Amino acid sequence: MADDPNRAPKHLGADLVIPVLAVIFTLYYFSTIWNSPWTAQVSAFAIGGVLLFICALYFIKVAGQFKRGEGRFTFTSLINFEDIRTGRVALLVTTIGFCWFIDELGFTLTTFLFLWTSMAILGAFKRLGLVTIVSAVLALGGWAVFILAFDTRFPRGWFEETMKVVMANG
Amino acid sequence: MGDAAIISTVFLETIGYWWVIIPTIFLGLIVGGIPGFSAANTIIILMPLTLAMDLQMGLVFMVSLYCAARMGAGIPAILVNIPGTAGAAATPLDGYPMTKQGRGQQALAISFVASSLGGLLTTIIAIAAMPLLARVGFYMHSVEMIVVMLFGISLIASIAAQDMLKGLIAGFFGLMLGAIGTDVVYATPRGTMGFLELYDGVPLIPALVGLFAVSEAFIIIEKRVILTKKGQEAMENPSWAATFEGVRDALTRWTHICWTSVIGLIIGVIPGAGASIASFVAYQQSRTFSKTPEKYGTGHIEGLVAPESANNGVTSGTLVPLLVLGIPGGATAAIMLVVMQYHGVSFGPSLFQQDPKVGYGMFIAMAVSYFLMILTIIPLSRYMSRVTTVPTIYLAPMIISFTLVGAFVPREYMFDMYLALAFGVVGYIARRTGYHVAAILIGVILGPLLETYFLRALKKSEGDIMVLFSSTLGNILWVALVVSLVLPIVFERRRKKKEIVIQ
Repeated sequence: MADDPNRAPKHLGADLVIPVLAVIFTLYYFSTIWNSPWTAQVSAFAIGGVLLFICALYFIKVAGQFKRGEGRFTFTSLINFEDIRTGRVALLVTTIGFCWFIDELGFTLTTFLFLWTSMAILGAFKRLGLVTIVSAVLALGGWAVFILAFDTRFPRGWFEETMKVVMANG
Repeated sequence: MGDAAIISTVFLETIGYWWVIIPTIFLGLIVGGIPGFSAANTIIILMPLTLAMDLQMGLVFMVSLYCAARMGAGIPAILVNIPGTAGAAATPLDGYPMTKQGRGQQALAISFVASSLGGLLTTIIAIAAMPLLARVGFYMHSVEMIVVMLFGISLIASIAAQDMLKGLIAGFFGLMLGAIGTDVVYATPRGTMGFLELYDGVPLIPALVGLFAVSEAFIIIEKRVILTKKGQEAMENPSWAATFEGVRDALTRWTHICWTSVIGLIIGVIPGAGASIASFVAYQQSRTFSKTPEKYGTGHIEGLVAPESANNGVTSGTLVPLLVLGIPGGATAAIMLVVMQYHGVSFGPSLFQQDPKVGYGMFIAMAVSYFLMILTIIPLSRYMSRVTTVPTIYLAPMIISFTLVGAFVPREYMFDMYLALAFGVVGYIARRTGYHVAAILIGVILGPLLETYFLRALKKSEGDIMVLFSSTLGNILWVALVVSLVLPIVFERRRKKKEIVIQ
């Protein structure tokens, strides 16, 4: 309770992110079916109605906690300095880069670059030799298993096409 | 030749294919363990090979791959909190906490024993009760299916035991996300945000990859390894004793394995239901009838046994409508149907008169595969569990790269990788703020199914909502649902009363 000095206050702002996302999405969803036939509406209105009701109850609960001083309107449990220190933000950036470049560079090369960059950042740029070996083995292993052996339709790029020509010519 | 003679002949012939079954088991474990690489995909990729084999060998190969992939999906679910398929999505609820406590080896052994025995038992039951089971599909109409779905959704309430409102928000948010796509009657786009790729609904693999794998990768980098300090100490000297402890833990719960695998068998018989629903229903029922429901979610053995037995019970269940009615119960069964038809086998009620060796052969192949799995996989748990000691600076990028690309594979849309990333962000926020990602996933899985059956029921009754209470079987299931929701409350009150009396 608020009277307990040892109890850390809740980060109520962070706790509200999912319900707020849920409410925004539900209202947007309703807007897309407003003029639709009843078959497109009935299930969504039933589920969405319940969701809005539950979110309303939660907002009231959080408002009560805020009023009683049991929590603060902060987002520290969601994002803080630790996210930069641990490399989490950098990992998010490299992950977006992985999705962005894989279509252009293909699976093997992008996977190698992503693994090397991410592991180097998370490991504070120590033991780069090991990081390079691990990244290369994993990327080439993935290529050998998924593309060479199973012919899975992974995104192909310069490396895959070159290897295809090399293999075709013995 | 009588049925018993045919079964024993087929059994001996199937045993002779051990050299096909054992490598296929390992292949199945690998493809089952990587999100996006289901048994169905692998059978499609290896279709030319399967068609070139003779009928019985092809059959043994497909069935072994199917069973092993189902079991393989539980391995990453237990070790790194990433289910290989949606059918294993309930496995990490108790499997992963066991791993963090340094009991990953025991958890794997429990999972292998529960899966193998559950699969073996339901295969035997399926052979014995095939005519009876085949009729289950006829009795399960839209109303009954709605109640079965609600059994799955009621797990949201179980998961949400700590904070009911948060659990319900997560579950219903998932249901809304699952409702994205065109409606089934007029194909009106709903909630698609203008993306054509979402017109068919939210694809399950990117949702699974994002909610479980990507979000988990972003969480685990906080620590050097995923194990707790106690877990690290326990994993320093892995021993065979830990594996045997897991085997013993599972075997002493044989009754639990039996009844939860039968849930899987019955749900597997219903076309379109599948392992994801079966595992959630089994978990929920296991928790309901447990004397210690409060232990579920903390690394409780029964919480691991139930979904693993059930999702392997489904494997034999899906074959029943395929063989008896010619209706495939799932994607893999549909591909099997195509391959078998290529070999000139026609399915349906006459199969067991005209081609009994094929009919029984599929179940015998399943039973033999499960038997060989017990012998080959359990010893591996000691080595597999070492994955948990890999530092997270290596593990997290590996998880992200291989699962994100797995999200791309089923539909080959780059969009699906971004979608998985978006689900990853939602999953990360959910985990950091106390919302359960499994509840969101249950919603995404069940959302479109529930809507389909709900609309079908309303269409038949011309909009009369009372249709939901119009069938005898449906009403029995409604009562069972209410009982399963009320019983935990009654048991909890009794437990508290007992505690007060003891004090």
